[in-house]
Amino acid sequence: MAKNTGSSAFRRVDVDQFSEEKYEEEAVAEDEANGPNETDIQRILNEGRNFDALLHALNTAPLSTKNQLVKERVVQTVLKVLLTFKSNEIDVAVKSLDQPQLDLLMKYIYRGFEYPSDGSSAQLLTWHEKVFSVGGLGCIIRVLTDRKRV
Amino acid sequence: MSTTLQPYLKAVRQTLTAAICLENFSSQVVERHNKPEVEVRTSKELLLTPVTISRNEKEKVLIEGSINSLRISIAIKQADEIEKILCHKFMRFMMMRAENFIVLRRKPVEGYDISFLITNFHTEQMYKHKVVDFIIHFMEEIDKEMSEMKLAVNSRARISAEEFLKRF
Repeated sequence: MAKNTGSSAFRRVDVDQFSEEKYEEEAVAEDEANGPNETDIQRILNEGRNFDALLHALNTAPLSTKNQLVKERVVQTVLKVLLTFKSNEIDVAVKSLDQPQLDLLMKYIYRGFEYPSDGSSAQLLTWHEKVFSVGGLGCIIRVLTDRKRV
Repeated sequence: MSTTLQPYLKAVRQTLTAAICLENFSSQVVERHNKPEVEVRTSKELLLTPVTISRNEKEKVLIEGSINSLRISIAIKQADEIEKILCHKFMRFMMMRAENFIVLRRKPVEGYDISFLITNFHTEQMYKHKVVDFIIHFMEEIDKEMSEMKLAVNSRARISAEEFLKRF
């Protein structure tokens, strides 16, 4: 049978992308936020103010940027902060955080698990337990469902 | 090192309890079909953030959730060659009988040793907390069984070598 079209490229078009019901990630204005300044954090840690370093990191988290490198770098910084805490300091720190900060902290804990190093997982497990006792299952569910990944 | 076992299992249990909230959801792409979205992965809005929990560099658990299904992948500690072979054979044995396990996946996810797939149909038929109990119990028992098998292999090897060398 003779083809009535010159090319059959139309067969390779993905028509689903033009569907009106297709989900599009909310186009959030890409924030130029680059996360906390590492030298700042290092300075605060050297002064021994662990909790302040944590607060600074949580308040300057790069949630809306799409740059993966920035996010990776910030995860490493926050991981460093989390590992400097001593076990007895964790309790106090967790109790003085509010709900959104707890959720953000939990996100960082889970990201921290992806880069296990000597003893880091044990410390992170302690963090996880303490945050869970304050935040509960809701905290974990918000980490799983939030589209703003850390 | 074994002091991290209980916190590790507790963290996995808590995350599983949170992620096992599943509901029925028919396929948006094909009519009259109902597929586990975590396996199909065609619609980004139906997938949850995948989450890892690690005990050390070798042992970790990956939990991927979605609206109607949950995939749990476990990486088991394998310290030497014998454990690697034993683990591989043991997991293969179980995965071949995946139908009887109901929640087991026939192939492990890349980078892990064994995977479970739990769908909303499973949670409708079985108690969620019991399914979570099963997975945690599985993780505990695996390590014990592996060390038992390793000991058995070593002692059998020693006995058979002894018998053989008695001839000389």
